[in-house]
Amino acid sequence: MDGWTGQFLRVDLTSRTFRIETFSEEFAYTWIGGRGFAVKILYDELAPGIDPLGPDNKLVVAVGPISGIPAPNTGKTIVAAKSPATGGYGDGNLGTRVTDQLRKAGYDALIVEGRADRPTMLSIEDDRVEFLPADEVWGKGTMETNDWIYARYGKGVGVLNIGQAGENMVRFAVVRSLEGRSGGRPGMGAVMGSKLLKAIVVKGSKPIPQAFPAAMKTLGRDDLRTVHAMDKEAAWSIQGTTGVLPWCNEVAALPVHNFRGTHHPDAWKVDGERVHAARVATYGCPNCTMRCGIAIPDDEGREAEVDYENIGLLGPNLDLFDLAQVAALNYLCDDYGLDTISAGSVLGFYADAIERGAVAGDLRFGDATGFKKVLGMIARREGEIGNLLAEGTLRAARVFGHGSEDYAMQVKGLEISAYNCKFIPGMALAFGVSPIGAHHKESWIITFEVKQTTRGSYGRDKAQKIVDLQRIRGGLFESIVTCRFPWVELGWGVEHYPTYFNTITGLDWKLEDFWPISDRIYALMKLFWLREYPQTDRSADFPPAAWFDPSNVDTEGPIAGMHLDREQYDGMLQQYYDIRGYDTRGVPTRATLENLGLGAEAAAAEAYATLG
Amino acid sequence: MKVKVTVKLAGGLVHTLGFSERELELPAGTTVAELLDAIAIDRTRPVIVGRNGWAIDLVEEVREGDRILISPVFSGG
Repeated sequence: MDGWTGQFLRVDLTSRTFRIETFSEEFAYTWIGGRGFAVKILYDELAPGIDPLGPDNKLVVAVGPISGIPAPNTGKTIVAAKSPATGGYGDGNLGTRVTDQLRKAGYDALIVEGRADRPTMLSIEDDRVEFLPADEVWGKGTMETNDWIYARYGKGVGVLNIGQAGENMVRFAVVRSLEGRSGGRPGMGAVMGSKLLKAIVVKGSKPIPQAFPAAMKTLGRDDLRTVHAMDKEAAWSIQGTTGVLPWCNEVAALPVHNFRGTHHPDAWKVDGERVHAARVATYGCPNCTMRCGIAIPDDEGREAEVDYENIGLLGPNLDLFDLAQVAALNYLCDDYGLDTISAGSVLGFYADAIERGAVAGDLRFGDATGFKKVLGMIARREGEIGNLLAEGTLRAARVFGHGSEDYAMQVKGLEISAYNCKFIPGMALAFGVSPIGAHHKESWIITFEVKQTTRGSYGRDKAQKIVDLQRIRGGLFESIVTCRFPWVELGWGVEHYPTYFNTITGLDWKLEDFWPISDRIYALMKLFWLREYPQTDRSADFPPAAWFDPSNVDTEGPIAGMHLDREQYDGMLQQYYDIRGYDTRGVPTRATLENLGLGAEAAAAEAYATLG
Repeated sequence: MKVKVTVKLAGGLVHTLGFSERELELPAGTTVAELLDAIAIDRTRPVIVGRNGWAIDLVEEVREGDRILISPVFSGG
């Protein structure tokens, strides 16, 4: 089976055992890899209602057919589990050497089960698996842990690790790799922590099975050069993702003051030009053609790797416009192993709740020292407030009460990325219907929407565009597993990816052959949600009330007086359901499931819920 | 008759064109497309053009006091 190793590695931390399993060609062609493998494995193997932070949850680390092959930006790996943040299926991707090392070790996925009896580092070297003590770095940050691992293995190995936030099961703890890479926003780091799994180290020595290795080598090398040249010509990586900040500020889409504001006169102080001027180093993932990891010094001189999302949420969203202070919060999140997006949103929410009298406290917007202190309390679950905020905005709001859930900026329990959709209906819907919670990686429609003169519309074209983008971004890219940036930032044609896939697998798939698989993956993520929440309805696909609130509108600027319209949003949501073949609750109908080859899953679902 | 507008660039355009923000005096009746040509924007690449925070068609004329944002299309993270 060219293109796949055909093997999974299953590890049980409780019994300290492992076994190598094979999977069929049919399985590979049905789910491709990465997210496809992960959702299928987790759906089949997890019992409904299990504690995501208990030993019954499983962590899946999965790659795809083009992962790790020298071609543009193929260095990504998927980490997935039942999400501690949402209770549904959760995943994320991150750039890591695990990508190629896992494949060279002979596996397309690693499945981690059970719970260790002491802090553990899992070491995988081809067919050899060791359960090593990690007590020495338990309680340490990701930077020191990474150094500790490199000191033992050298820098050529693949590493996934967690910091204190993962150890303490903060619901928005991430998995970290390569000093600056993070993935798994919906609490994948907390799942590792719950298993006392501090780190995973992978080293492989086998060739990756490919149908036409010589052709792929030539194609990959040429395309790496071409995309790199495109980046140079566009000057994209000079500012990387931080170049988006002035645009968001100008079009009133920047999160300011817990998303209450959409732009700020001081935003320029933390924009891409300032980031570029402060740059001390640049980092990228394996096989990267357009390195986006810009490192700048923080207020203590430490190197912090920043990007737009981090700056948006840890800067303007907290009324912080001192780049070194923002970088310090970024550094702390990375070292604790906290998701920067959720962390910034939680801090902003807490300051907002205090300001509105929903909870007593002395934290104020603009107080960098105060934010650093609270961040540490969250990572350590220190005190009543640190422990509560470690649960994320939704759970904290339910304790604070006083209507604070309206301005907990999340969907399904996952905090919204750094795009303020107070008057951007399509992007609001993209956050709403993301099956893993409000993550921008699923469908980033905002530029499509704002570059047109139909920004305020709630048309079917936007619902269709979201489906189209989900198919490419959340389906194709996350199952063959590659970075979306060459396509989305530089216009590298999506048609290149079936070419890579076919050259590696020896198949002859067209682009459109991937869409039913993508739809199948999305449908199964929804069934996972339904199984956990049989009473679910369309309200789960709505963004927070603050975006619909006439009393929360901007008083000046481009969208002064404007807010989302609930009825029209609901109409656009229905359009999305209609295109997808989902019922009025947002659940795939029986016919849709059968058309996608999920007839057995549909029959099983009828044991716990009705299908339309 | 002239109109004064402010052009604000974002992302890589700052580096390819060599400025971040600039005031321009243009003949009345200048369209957005003509403005893009005047500052040598590569129109073979997709860009987002906005006036005072809102998308604008390239055939529209710029007006006195406009703030014109020109940005590459990018994803943010």
